Amino acid sequence: MIKFILIVNKLGQTRLAQYYTTGLSINKRVALENEITRRCLSRKDKECSFLEFRDLKVIYRRYASLFFLVGVDEEENELGILEFIHCLVETLDKYFENVCELDLMFNIDKAYMILDEMALNGNIIETNKKNIIAPLHIIDQVSKKLK
Amino acid sequence: MSVKLHDLITKVRESTTTSGIREIISEECVQIRNAFRKEDTKNRPRNISKLIYIDFLGFPTDFGQVECLKLIAHTSYVCKRIGYLGLSVLLTENEEVLFMSTNIIRNDLASENKFIVALALSSLGNIGSVEMLRDLAPEVEKLLKSQTAYIRKKAALTAIRTIRFVPETVDRFVGCVKSLLSDKNHGVVVGGIQLLIEILKIEPKSISEFRKLVPGLLRMLKSLVDAGYAPEYDFEGVTDPFLQVFILRLLRILGKDSKKYSNQMIDILTQVGTSSGLNKNVENCILYESVSTILTVESPNRLRVTAINTLSKFLSGKDNNMKYVALNTLLKGVNKDSKSLKRHRKVIVKCLRDKDISIRRRALDLVFGIMNKKNVKELTQELLDCLPKAEHDFRFDITAKVCTAIEKFSPDDQWQIDTLVQVLTIGGQYIRDDVIAIMTHVTGRNQELQYYASKKLYNSLLDDRYRNQKFIQVAAWVIGEFGDILLKKSIEENESIDPSQIIDLCQIIITSSRNDDLTKYFILNTLIKLSTRIEGFNETIKEIIKPFMKHVNIEIQQRACEYFRLFEDKELLVFSFDRIPVKDDNMEKQEIETVQEDQTANENSMKNTNTQENTDQQFSPNNNQSGQGTEMNIMGGNNVVSQNKTQETSSIENLLQLDFNNNNNNQNVNKQTTNIQNQQSNQSTEDFLSDIFGTNNNPNSNNTQNVQNTKIQNVMGILGTENGMGTGRGTGMGTGMGTGTGRGMGRGMGTGMGTGMGTGMGKGMGRGMGRGNVNTQKKNPSAIIYNQDGLKIQMNFKLVSVNGIPAAMVQTIFTNSTPTPMTDLIFQVAVPKHLQVQMAPPSSKIIPANNIGKVTQTFRVIKKQNIKIKLAMMTRIQYKINGMPISKQQEVKNLPLIF
Repeated sequence: MIKFILIVNKLGQTRLAQYYTTGLSINKRVALENEITRRCLSRKDKECSFLEFRDLKVIYRRYASLFFLVGVDEEENELGILEFIHCLVETLDKYFENVCELDLMFNIDKAYMILDEMALNGNIIETNKKNIIAPLHIIDQVSKKLK
Repeated sequence: MSVKLHDLITKVRESTTTSGIREIISEECVQIRNAFRKEDTKNRPRNISKLIYIDFLGFPTDFGQVECLKLIAHTSYVCKRIGYLGLSVLLTENEEVLFMSTNIIRNDLASENKFIVALALSSLGNIGSVEMLRDLAPEVEKLLKSQTAYIRKKAALTAIRTIRFVPETVDRFVGCVKSLLSDKNHGVVVGGIQLLIEILKIEPKSISEFRKLVPGLLRMLKSLVDAGYAPEYDFEGVTDPFLQVFILRLLRILGKDSKKYSNQMIDILTQVGTSSGLNKNVENCILYESVSTILTVESPNRLRVTAINTLSKFLSGKDNNMKYVALNTLLKGVNKDSKSLKRHRKVIVKCLRDKDISIRRRALDLVFGIMNKKNVKELTQELLDCLPKAEHDFRFDITAKVCTAIEKFSPDDQWQIDTLVQVLTIGGQYIRDDVIAIMTHVTGRNQELQYYASKKLYNSLLDDRYRNQKFIQVAAWVIGEFGDILLKKSIEENESIDPSQIIDLCQIIITSSRNDDLTKYFILNTLIKLSTRIEGFNETIKEIIKPFMKHVNIEIQQRACEYFRLFEDKELLVFSFDRIPVKDDNMEKQEIETVQEDQTANENSMKNTNTQENTDQQFSPNNNQSGQGTEMNIMGGNNVVSQNKTQETSSIENLLQLDFNNNNNNQNVNKQTTNIQNQQSNQSTEDFLSDIFGTNNNPNSNNTQNVQNTKIQNVMGILGTENGMGTGRGTGMGTGMGTGTGRGMGRGMGTGMGTGMGTGMGKGMGRGMGRGNVNTQKKNPSAIIYNQDGLKIQMNFKLVSVNGIPAAMVQTIFTNSTPTPMTDLIFQVAVPKHLQVQMAPPSSKIIPANNIGKVTQTFRVIKKQNIKIKLAMMTRIQYKINGMPISKQQEVKNLPLIF
């Protein structure tokens, strides 16, 4: 199961954080994010995309200035998660058209919706880009009409 | 005027300093608070969006929680969306506010708009608490049968959370799963498979029923594999790899331990498992999953060999990700295929030197996994070669593995000693504390080894006395214990060692400021032991010890004073520091067979506390944990049971059994407090304790100190902490001196001083008693008082009597079936007024995952008034899982015990 999905920039600032485990206080969360990000960012390109941290396994992938980090437990297929990250990035890219850090920051609610369509409660649910984006388009159209 | 999120972000980004950002944020928070107070409904969604952003920056945002509730109660979808988003980001399931949302979510689940239903389902699935999930389970079940696929797939995942948190609802969802699996929509199938996997985790018994699904799953997998280009689910030429992975994972669970269904899978597994791959990540991902499945189910050998070969292809490739997953999979399949694995040993060993720490760590585990008696020499050497180059954290792992290898797979004794010395030399500071226990174990057996070890350690210490602390400690122990053998044998071999040289070396080490206090304890012990083993150095040793009587460390000071006084009674001195008896391996086997030993050992430890409290011969406590003073007392300290580590079997716990069995000396041991004596009196003759209590019970003895007072404490614990050191020595000594002549006790003292043997003895005794008690234990009732979220708590009850008043001895066993260990366990019990409860500490604060081990904690309930009542209590369990604290309180009634 996926424990969390984090998107951070190369300075280590969190741009999106979705936790599927609960009960973390804000201080602990910040500490955890800092620690994981620090470790991932310090790894070299040639090293593998997996990092063991406490009882978690962090699978990360870098896209330009953004790092996508996914924390999982033992059962998850690491390569599958890499593929999932790729799928997430492609979807974001498709929706935002050349996604960049600012897109995520300014449209954080949309980014979350995409993530919610793709994964829920730590499980992958939908990986078809069209299906993921469809509800967002409908909502966009409706809110345009309202305006 | 409320700023837009866009503007806030721009403002924060323009600020270059952290303090600048903090200022902007706190200003903004004030604005938002004001807006909330004024019930500014128009800007509420915007304010929550800003709070989400502020939350990412790591600032507290809890004041926005109630506003989220107001938003989700709004009729507009846009408001609801922000509200639910805020709810999942700003809240955690422990917040009360969350519970208030239950009814709103219930309404939304019944909405006609599928997007609103999906929103409610998502947030219930992401953050729902136990109470909410229990309340809303019927709604989730209904939605699983919804007309819309979009809702069905979300409901499936919400159902996963429901059964994970509220396992008793599992029956509700078992019926729906099959229809989900035959759904046309891939998303629904993915959700259904994951739900089924979760159900099987909770209800493993239902597996036989679900095995009937295998043919259908295989068909589905085959159609995916054979499918040509399917634009909807195409990933670089592979059709829906995620679904394939999930099917393979489910097949793995269903095919495990079932020959029949595994056979059905062979064809498709061969097809998937032998596909080329190795280029694209998507292909490798499926290949990897199929290899894991092949290795788990009952597949034929040729298939297994192919699978392992695929992994070795992964290993020898350049891609580090592939290396990592290959090592990981080999590690999981290591037991079944160790033969074919061995062929790939070189590749694995090579990974030990990889630049990537993740890979090195996995390789280390795997190297250890393929280790056996034949290859242990080579592999250990490989590990030792890596040690000097490894980084700090990794060194601890390596030394731990080497130590375990030495214990577990040793081909010959001399190798054990050589390797131990080697690992101590190059990585002493990274070694775990029980290394001395290993050394005592290894050297215990014969004189040749004792001489070999002491000579080796002595010479290397002589060459370089600035070695690491652990090295010096081990050397000090060995030289002290076997000093006489070292001298005697060296003369026989014409390499005579000058005894004064040994004493000088000790003096140099003990006075050096380079060495820490623990090392100094060890040297003190070495000196006092040498005084009994080598003639003519008593005065010199006394002179060395003397300054330490004023040492700043209270433990060292006390010890020095005690030893100094012991010189006055030569007989006692010699007998106290006699050599530790040899360990009997057969005894250990018996121990392992006895299941309940630990349990009763725990009970005994508690009895000890109480008996000890009642004795009129109180020694001053020297246990730091007891929180009492550390007043000097020549007789040594008495301590309250503080820790009861019943981890691994300590190598020496049984030493004293032999000693006791041979104990024909009529030295009276002590007078037992009656209740314990009664309990023990009907034991078999094998039980050394009953021997002692039965035959040596001397009514003339005026001492009520109990043999068991030697603490049941693990040797490792003792070696590790100052506290432990004090404990072992203090108690052994106290008892020995107190009873005056008890030979067994004297032994306890001598060895206790050396290495905490005294406590090893305590444990041995506790275990001995445990064995005796087995017969009576079986009749005692037990109850499972708690079984939630993977934590199971069982209580075993036993009626005892304390000074004539009936009491219940309750042994609590904690097991953890989740895949993550639970840490920081605290278990508390409250009983009604007319009862009194006395708790012993738990055997560990960590409950290992996957039911691998258990934690036990014993407590005693005593009646204040002698009336017949049924036992009832209030319990509180606190623990952390994944670092998250969990606290549960519950009343325990209807216990099967009346007293």
